[in-house]
Amino acid sequence: MNQLLATIFSAAFLATVIRTSTPLLLATLGGLIADLSGALNVALDGIMLIGCLSAVIASAYAPWYVGVLAGLGAGAVVGAIMAFFHLRMKADIIIVGFAIGALATGGTVFALSIATGGDKGTSINLPSKGIPAVDLSFLTAIPGIGPFLAGIFSGHSFLSWVAAFLVFAIWYFLYRTPWGLWLRGVGEYPAAPEAAGIPVGAVRAWSLVVSAALAGLGGAQLAMFNYIGFTANMTAGRGFIALGAVLLGARHPVGVLLAALLFGAFDGLTTVLPGLFDWIPPELIRMIPFVVTIVALVLFSIRAQRTLALRSGR
Amino acid sequence: MTAPAPAASGNMRPQTRWAAIRREATRALIAVVIALLATILIIFVTSKTPAEAFMTLLTAPFSKTRTIGLWVDDVAKLTVTGLAFSLVFQARQFALGVQGQLYIGALAASYVALSPIGQTWLGLPLGIVAAMIAGGIYGFFPGIAKARLGANEIVSTLMLNYIAVELCNYLVRVQLVAPGSGLLTTAKFPGTSLYPVLVANTRIDLGVILAIVAVLAVWFALYRSSWGLKLRLVGHNARFAEYAGIKANFIMVSAMTAAGALGGLLGSMFVQGQAFGNLTVLFEGGFAFEGVLIAIVARNRPLAVLVVALFYAYLRQGAQLMNIRTDVPAEVISVVAAIIILLVASSFNLPGKAFLARLFFGSARRGTIAAATGGAPK
Repeated sequence: MNQLLATIFSAAFLATVIRTSTPLLLATLGGLIADLSGALNVALDGIMLIGCLSAVIASAYAPWYVGVLAGLGAGAVVGAIMAFFHLRMKADIIIVGFAIGALATGGTVFALSIATGGDKGTSINLPSKGIPAVDLSFLTAIPGIGPFLAGIFSGHSFLSWVAAFLVFAIWYFLYRTPWGLWLRGVGEYPAAPEAAGIPVGAVRAWSLVVSAALAGLGGAQLAMFNYIGFTANMTAGRGFIALGAVLLGARHPVGVLLAALLFGAFDGLTTVLPGLFDWIPPELIRMIPFVVTIVALVLFSIRAQRTLALRSGR
Repeated sequence: MTAPAPAASGNMRPQTRWAAIRREATRALIAVVIALLATILIIFVTSKTPAEAFMTLLTAPFSKTRTIGLWVDDVAKLTVTGLAFSLVFQARQFALGVQGQLYIGALAASYVALSPIGQTWLGLPLGIVAAMIAGGIYGFFPGIAKARLGANEIVSTLMLNYIAVELCNYLVRVQLVAPGSGLLTTAKFPGTSLYPVLVANTRIDLGVILAIVAVLAVWFALYRSSWGLKLRLVGHNARFAEYAGIKANFIMVSAMTAAGALGGLLGSMFVQGQAFGNLTVLFEGGFAFEGVLIAIVARNRPLAVLVVALFYAYLRQGAQLMNIRTDVPAEVISVVAAIIILLVASSFNLPGKAFLARLFFGSARRGTIAAATGGAPK
């Protein structure tokens, strides 16, 4: 047990948490934007997968930043498709999400096979690139805690810092700009912004595009830093965990950041535990993120219900 | 089976049952045609022998008795997963737990089949019942969490799916496989626990009958029982149903439990059926989610589920054979599936129709036309 605690509070583990949280955080921020605009984006997982594949294929033939932009762009395109079918064709957003999910799981394998001339399921023959790490080893110069800080914060993906900045940027956008107010208003009670002359349809469409673009960016991080290359279903439910993280984070950017870090920590635990306790079956360790998501969801729902009861009881 | 499924009551305009069915069937047909055109396009772009590939997709499943057997077996399983999704979708619950219920049901059936009971005639019925109970329980949990706490059912059911898969991996490795063998497949179940074969040398077995019974049972429950009426009311407007004195939460939980039992049944159909006859880790490979497409295209109507399953199973088998015989991967079918779902869920019209109407009535009447053609059910 002491060994476990020592591991968890080591700089290496905290660095792992940041690494595992980054793709999750990007997807969760995407889920947050869609959720606040009134659309539950159940396609996050599929969009991440599409982002993964686009990033891998693009980075095999172009510099790494083109791969990242490909993930982002592919996500945005999928978001635009979703917006078209949801807003113009009046299809239920959840059903549109299911369709994108179906498209992503099979379509990515299909597209990979076409792109590589027959590879099924992994991009092993594709020389895809990684996102460069941001070196902050100068932090060691700080006396005392310097090495610890460098251990935590040095060597992370460029996108980890982008994601951290995005938390702030999205908070600022949502709560300090008129467009953020529009977005929240559209999600809360669309008739009111409609009456105020706010283009509700456009706000919804852009929210879906941005939401999907963020999930695509999360996919790029997953396939270009956490892993290098694409394997079928490599998201392993992260997009759905992100949906849970949006709820757990109380639909607020900072809450969402904390939720993503929590899930990232348990995800990181799955990589640490097998080395510490070899008697725990690997299958049970792999269950941890999913069990934690359910427990968090239930606990959060209890709390939300209590708040509701307090409010109505007043 | 001559009685048609009643029309959706979501539409305000008065209409006959047949008109609604005809309209829905036309929409589905248009969606399928567009999806097939897209498939032709994809195959022509990607394949070196496009004509052969497309012919294989369309004709191969019907070429041999064996392939027909594969098709019928697939129809039975797709029907059951489609029914499970239809039940929860009709109650407006987007529970996606069939995959997990399938694994849990398969585990329960395997425990029965591999126990001493499995060697007796009781193995077959007890396996099915155990699978359905286990699946039902697995469907009950997210249901009660949603009803009591408002826990989002999409997230909880998906997480339970992943947990069930890992649980199956674990139990197969540790308990069900002979120790030290290193295999991830159990021994073949005794013959007394397997579904009896209906047509020799094919996969057509008891599962087909179970699927048909399930269709009739779900149809009866939804359209000929008060529970079904309440369920559909809850699905259309849960608050109105509450005001009318219906316990919406009870209906919701019972629908998710019943769907769970169907998912469990599907697990039994997999492991006790002729196709497998044992339990292998990851045997399902995402099959359960095909039910989402079936339910959406069938507009959650049990009798339509069977019809859609007939067509979709044919396409799936065609894609598998195309995968083996030509250079087009079977996954092309998921692209087709996505297009079909999107088109069926959309309130689309043939582009020419709107254009013609505008031509004849002038742009002043456009609003009326839009009002008349929009407003699809749901």
